Amino acid sequence: MPAIRHSSKRKPPPEGFSDIEDDLLIFANKMKDAQNKPPPPGPKHMAQWEIFQIAHQRSRYVYDLYYEKEAISKQLYEWLLKNGYADAMLIAKWKKQGYEKLCCLRCVQTKETNFNSTCICRVPRAQLKEDSDMQCVSCGCRGCASSD
Amino acid sequence: MLKSTHKAAPLAPLPPGWTEHKAPTGHTYYYNAETKESTYKRPSVQPAAQLGPEPSYNPYGAVPNLSDPRVANAYMAQFNQPPPQAQRGGFGGGARGGLEGRPRPQPVDKPRRKEVIPGCEPWILVYTKYSRRFVYNPVKNASYWRIPEKLMPAILEMDKKRILGSTAGEDEKKETDNDQSKEQERKDAEKTAALDRDYESDEYMYEEVEAEATDDEGQDEGREGDENDDDEHPSKRQRTEMGGKGPLEFTEADIVAQLQAMGEDYGLEPGDYDDGNMEDWPEGAEGVEFSEEDAKFLFKDMLIDLNINPYSSWDKLLEEGKIIEDPRYTALSTTKARKECWDEWTREKIAELKEQRAKQEKKDPKIAWMAFLQEKASPKLYWPEFKRKYRKEDPMKDMKLSDKDREKSYREHINRLKMPQTTLKSDLTALLKAQPIHLLNNKSLANGLPAQVLTDIRYISLEPKIRDPLVEAYVQTLPPPPEDPSSAAEDEEQRKAREARERREKALEERNRMIEEQRRRRERDVAVSKARLREEERELEVAMRVGKRGLQSQLASMKPQEEEQQGEKGGS
Repeated sequence: MPAIRHSSKRKPPPEGFSDIEDDLLIFANKMKDAQNKPPPPGPKHMAQWEIFQIAHQRSRYVYDLYYEKEAISKQLYEWLLKNGYADAMLIAKWKKQGYEKLCCLRCVQTKETNFNSTCICRVPRAQLKEDSDMQCVSCGCRGCASSD
Repeated sequence: MLKSTHKAAPLAPLPPGWTEHKAPTGHTYYYNAETKESTYKRPSVQPAAQLGPEPSYNPYGAVPNLSDPRVANAYMAQFNQPPPQAQRGGFGGGARGGLEGRPRPQPVDKPRRKEVIPGCEPWILVYTKYSRRFVYNPVKNASYWRIPEKLMPAILEMDKKRILGSTAGEDEKKETDNDQSKEQERKDAEKTAALDRDYESDEYMYEEVEAEATDDEGQDEGREGDENDDDEHPSKRQRTEMGGKGPLEFTEADIVAQLQAMGEDYGLEPGDYDDGNMEDWPEGAEGVEFSEEDAKFLFKDMLIDLNINPYSSWDKLLEEGKIIEDPRYTALSTTKARKECWDEWTREKIAELKEQRAKQEKKDPKIAWMAFLQEKASPKLYWPEFKRKYRKEDPMKDMKLSDKDREKSYREHINRLKMPQTTLKSDLTALLKAQPIHLLNNKSLANGLPAQVLTDIRYISLEPKIRDPLVEAYVQTLPPPPEDPSSAAEDEEQRKAREARERREKALEERNRMIEEQRRRRERDVAVSKARLREEERELEVAMRVGKRGLQSQLASMKPQEEEQQGEKGGS
């Protein structure tokens, strides 16, 4: 268990954090709200969908700032990852070809599924037989294949 | 498609022998007492007219009242013979009957405002909710979509005035908008001119399209589908009501052009008010009038005007909805284009911000802290008390300054506050004197004192009302700043280098002097030892000289020699 330091004794965040502080705060508040809400009525597996979605959005926000817009420095990016503002494992997947839009890590985890395959949301829309609106069980994704 | 409020117009007269009745269900049906025939579809005179000799037929003679749109249409359909269309025909047949009683729900057009037409007094020009217009004569209780010939010049005059007025009044509007409206005007003018020129030669496309809709029905069913048809396309119908009549100057295209001009006045795109004929819209009216780049610039202007943070995400922006409410949001027509534009803008903006930040010097966080300390610190509070009391203040929360530093400076400051005023004053003068000329000079008061002074504990320990006159007085005695701050820095370096060289030279001299002295001492030593050697040699020589008196004489001579030697030794 690492020591929890008082905020006045912490090191200041790297340069440029103040620019994105407000947006990150909004994400943090959303996440807190989602966590503290009573579980929604309905199937049990849907309870965590919102958490996954917010985590995805926040990671994507940080990813875009660093890799797409080059708006933040490397130090700040690493600091954000270290402090849990983005999911480093998920971002690592986004850098791989074919996983550019991956919704969550559980959807590519083949070991835990009945048929040892990825989630339905990884299937390209063109290959789906029925064109109905489906959401995946683990995170409520409607399809995150790169070709969609 | 718009639904008209025009209801009062009489239907085409029934052929002789037919009577109109109402069924218990509310449907209207027609009954011919002679043939004992009854039909839901309205019989008309058309078959008889068709039988007549065509070539010598005078079209204008047989027409009863073409101001009525329905009659006019039926009439038009007789001589326009477009290629037959299977789909239209099928639609006009069985399927139509089922829909007869309950027409599809359609938006209802309503009169909005009216204007008196100057010069033609009883006539009024009425504008509707959907930006259409018609003329109305309250005295005769007659209204026409197609503007009659005699009112034409007056209405054109009104339009001209309005367009001129609106362009003159729109100075504060954007440049692009102005261009747009001018362009529009030009287009209108061209269109009317062109149409006036070739009006006589042929009827233009619009008319033909209109006629085609009714024609095959007219052929097959003897104008019976006419009424249904009117329900289906009311606005089109009313447009073309006078299509075939005489040499009209005010043509369909004029109305279209005026509609568009009016639409612009209301800030509507042609797509917003459906005037029923897509093919007559000016090019680009569906999307944007100006070029793609202009649209992008407009969109970016909006982003700048709304103070959008370039670091926030696109989703958040859409959620807030601030940009969606802005009219410039629609400058780009697709969301994809908007997102691209947004991406581009954020990149530019962030790069710009970065550059700006790199240029401006870093502000020392200590300056704010020191000012805060001077204002709030008092010997009555210990550091923990002070910290607790002011923990919400910005300088206390600033992460760039560590808590340790804060505490240290606080304690030091409090200790200094207890010192006598004279010491504090002399300390301040010492601090000011220590500043190099390029930092502190007689311009410093206007530009702000240098950070080195502001962050020094000696600067804040005096009260501002004592300190400020002191500083002012001192600064005014200083010379002006050197020309170039960089040259001042250079001078400093040169001076340092010179000093260092001097110091080195001095050290070298010292060393040389030492060496010289050592050398001289050694030489003297050598000389002394040589002299002693010579002395001893001489003694030996004397000893070797043995005379005839033998040893005695030698011993006798030895004694005074020894004495001499002893005296020598004592001397040396």
